[in-house]
Amino acid sequence: MGGSAASKLRKLSFYLDPVLIAQLLLPTTILFLFLVAPLLLVAYVAGQYSIFDVLSDPTYFSLRPRGQPVLILRTSFRGREVTIIKVVGVSFGAVINSLINAVIVTAGATVLGVAVAFVFARYEFPGKTVLRILATMPLLLTPFINVFVIRKLFDWRDGIISWFVCDVLGLPLRLGVDSIAGVAVAQIMTFFPLVYLNVYSSMVNIDPSLEEQAENLGAKGFRLFRTVTLPLSLPGLAAGSALVFIFSLEDVAAPIVFNEKRFISYQVFSKFIEATTGQLSPVAAILALILLLLALTIFASIRRYVMLRQYAMLSRGGRWKPRMRKLSAKGLLAIYLVLAPLLVFLAFPQLGVIIYAFSERWTGPLPQGFTLKNLWSIVEDPLVSRAVINSLTYSLSALALIILLGISASYVIARARVPGVDLLDLLVTSPVAIPGLVIAVGYFYFFTTFFRGTPLDPIVSGPSLLLVLAYSVRRLPFTARAVFAGLQQVHIALEEASLNLGAGRLRTLVNIVIPLISLNLLSGALVSFVYCMSETSTSITLGGLGGVGESHQAPITFIMLDYLNRVGGPHIVASLGVLLISLQLLVITLVNVVFKQRYAYVGV
Amino acid sequence: MTRVSLRGVTKRFEDVVAVDRVSLEVREGELFTLLGPSGCGKTTTLRIIAGFELPDEGSVFFDNEDVTYKKPYERGCAMVFQNYALWPHMTVYENVAYGLKVRGLPAREIRKRVDEVLELVGLRGLEDRYPTQLSGGQQQRVALARALVVEPKVLLLDEPLSNLDAKLRLRMREEVKKLQKELGITTIYVTHDQEEAMSISDRVAVMNRGRVLQVGTPIEVYTKPANLFVATFIGRSALLRGKIVRADGRRVSILTRGGFKLEGTGLGVRSGDTEIVAVVRPEDFSLSPLPDANIIEGKVELVMFLGPYKQLRVNARGERIIAYVDPEEEVKAGEIIKLYIKPEDVKVYSAEGWEELEFE
Ligand SMILES: Nc1ncnc2c1ncn2[C@@H]1O[C@H](COP(=O)(O)OP(=O)(O)OP(=O)(O)O)[C@@H](O)[C@H]1O
Ligand SMILES: [Mg+2]
Repeated sequence: MGGSAASKLRKLSFYLDPVLIAQLLLPTTILFLFLVAPLLLVAYVAGQYSIFDVLSDPTYFSLRPRGQPVLILRTSFRGREVTIIKVVGVSFGAVINSLINAVIVTAGATVLGVAVAFVFARYEFPGKTVLRILATMPLLLTPFINVFVIRKLFDWRDGIISWFVCDVLGLPLRLGVDSIAGVAVAQIMTFFPLVYLNVYSSMVNIDPSLEEQAENLGAKGFRLFRTVTLPLSLPGLAAGSALVFIFSLEDVAAPIVFNEKRFISYQVFSKFIEATTGQLSPVAAILALILLLLALTIFASIRRYVMLRQYAMLSRGGRWKPRMRKLSAKGLLAIYLVLAPLLVFLAFPQLGVIIYAFSERWTGPLPQGFTLKNLWSIVEDPLVSRAVINSLTYSLSALALIILLGISASYVIARARVPGVDLLDLLVTSPVAIPGLVIAVGYFYFFTTFFRGTPLDPIVSGPSLLLVLAYSVRRLPFTARAVFAGLQQVHIALEEASLNLGAGRLRTLVNIVIPLISLNLLSGALVSFVYCMSETSTSITLGGLGGVGESHQAPITFIMLDYLNRVGGPHIVASLGVLLISLQLLVITLVNVVFKQRYAYVGV
Repeated sequence: MTRVSLRGVTKRFEDVVAVDRVSLEVREGELFTLLGPSGCGKTTTLRIIAGFELPDEGSVFFDNEDVTYKKPYERGCAMVFQNYALWPHMTVYENVAYGLKVRGLPAREIRKRVDEVLELVGLRGLEDRYPTQLSGGQQQRVALARALVVEPKVLLLDEPLSNLDAKLRLRMREEVKKLQKELGITTIYVTHDQEEAMSISDRVAVMNRGRVLQVGTPIEVYTKPANLFVATFIGRSALLRGKIVRADGRRVSILTRGGFKLEGTGLGVRSGDTEIVAVVRPEDFSLSPLPDANIIEGKVELVMFLGPYKQLRVNARGERIIAYVDPEEEVKAGEIIKLYIKPEDVKVYSAEGWEELEFE
């Protein structure tokens, strides 16, 4: 066995023709340059400074809580004696806050998600389809503006809940959730479907005979759920909860909208505001590194349950016919009186975005007037229309690169018989686990250091190219996984038949492989595209490096953030939200109904 | 026409030795069959010849050229895959024309040759169908046409008939043989069906556990199996375990475990072997007395009329024997009968390796 180096090389070259080599080198090089190198640079820059500078600063780290978690005040408000109850939460500094918040959000989202998943996976009832759609609605990305609606729900002064309790029901109470607590509530509402979908698909994948057996042995009701159903859905639970944890850590929309600076993500984001000068505070690197390490730790610790590559392809269908039960009258009542209103409430932010987009004013608790002018301003307002065009341009350019990299990498991973392919697989799928803010920080250092003064320097030429690269890297996993799944369904003999008849690798790829996986490719590409369009983390950080002028280079989400605090701005932001919702619905329909593929619901 | 030689080819997959030091010489224009049970390495051998696998040791020659390291698309082989591997997104015409397009032939030439080959395999008129719109037999013929149209140096067929029903299998078997002879293409045919191998091949290589055990014409392999495996794999022979009583050159006297004394011919016995297996083919049993013949007495358990012969299942002191006899013979289940066997039809092999044989 073994043999000399020459004979090993000869063997390797037998299985690797030039096309395969190119397919191996292209994604590896690009990902090393534009993912690994920037991340290493973050670690390097962070290493230049003492982490204790950050940890000794109470802004970031403090062991004594500040503030009171709940404020209760009896006062006169608009001519009435009321009790104001305001939940705000306490602060331990940004680092601890982010962690505690992530834990609370994960717990909340998990409880909600598991409950909803269990009902849907095990019970049959009229109207289930509608409720299932409602339960996935929070995953329709509407950066900032859905949180804006959530804030509107929980505002003690003009919030809908407060208005309902005090003005409609006539109770002398005004309720509010704000600040740190507001961020937690907003994130739970937004992220719980990630748990729901993962647990649901685990549950419908459970061999029904396992539950039947347990029942025969006498396990019933909650005991059955606790001892059999829940442990068997652990992979889905682990996957969903881990995603929520990471999304919560890196989410910057909720802290921004609640104007809550005491989170890591907000701190990293805020450092970018001064970055147009070409300087980024090293604190950003330290905080980014903390984010990265936390995220990677979470993923590493649940690898036992789910492989990284599975994250990019969520919600797998059931192989079994799941055990469905009819509900008793009492159960039905619970569904319609508890679950249905709850799901409507959880989906309300997305509905609210639509209402916002079509209303003239929404300053008080209720919206007023119907108008199309907000939608119209997408075209009319030059800053907005430019942002839309920018986003389209970036996303389409990124898509071209994503398709090239996705096909190349997945083909090599699926087919090439060479060592080291696992590493490429890890590289291609890892962006699912890497917070976008960390990539933003990495890119800033990377391009301002190594490309200073060149067209790739964002301070000189604006962020266009950086955004295209960031989108490509971050949204690659969706296409790569879809292509990989497609390749697994293409019998290798179909390719061999082509090679056998004299066609080279490239020709086989173009004439045989790509046509056969076209539906997978198209579906993956559409999902990548949608999540490029709604990409937030790098867009609102790097996106501002060119400034906001007439010929700005900022993408949609940057402008959404920018307009949020302008007068009448939220309505325009909402209409951009509606644009993104429409795009997502279109793609979901195409992928699920037309191409009959699975839609991957991930992306922040 | 091309000669194919394998020289000491070995291929391992992790700890499985799929192909074990195989050397073969396939002559020009010959229909050569690799025959053996499932998992014996036939497909792997074929894939090495096609260039999909690199052998760990040994080399492959086409005529005098070493092609071991050549890519599949540089070899000029054409393979018919077991599941046909027709491209579902292409019509019959496009499937067949593909190899010619790859070769950059002018459109008119392609049209002409595709028409010809479709005529040859009897598929004219189905050009615009997609593979899913074809029956199994038609798909098989498209696969064959797709391989033949490029006029390959070597045609490789991996169990091309195994997915067809019995009747179609017989017909296609004849057609493949006829086409192969007409075109004179060196052909390597893989099958685990010994009857198919016997009927179609010029020469057969019997394989087991990655090794080639015997190469020869179908008649040679059938009548002079080189070892116990070949003897048992081909035909439904009776296997009688026993001991050697006396050996005199090729002629041996044995005593079976059931207590029959038989005269036989030693084929795979070495001096010193005591444990042996006597192999008798079903058609070598006779109900009418023969001079100098061995006699086995037993009880008929089952009689089946199979057209050209009657199949008897006989229990001879615990030994189970299948015998084919003249259909005119009056035999009934339950009867005690005498079976006569000529000494040259009792083939005696060493029982070494007996444990490794797999019986149906
Ligand atoms: N790619 C592979 N990886 C690992 N083992 C393999 C591979 N291909 C074949 N083998 C093993 O090598 C041995 C020979 O396989 P091969 O497919 O050549 O058998 P075969 O004679 O064609 O069998 P069949 O009649 O079932 O098609 C088997 O044990 C098989 O499991
Ligand atoms: Mg095989």
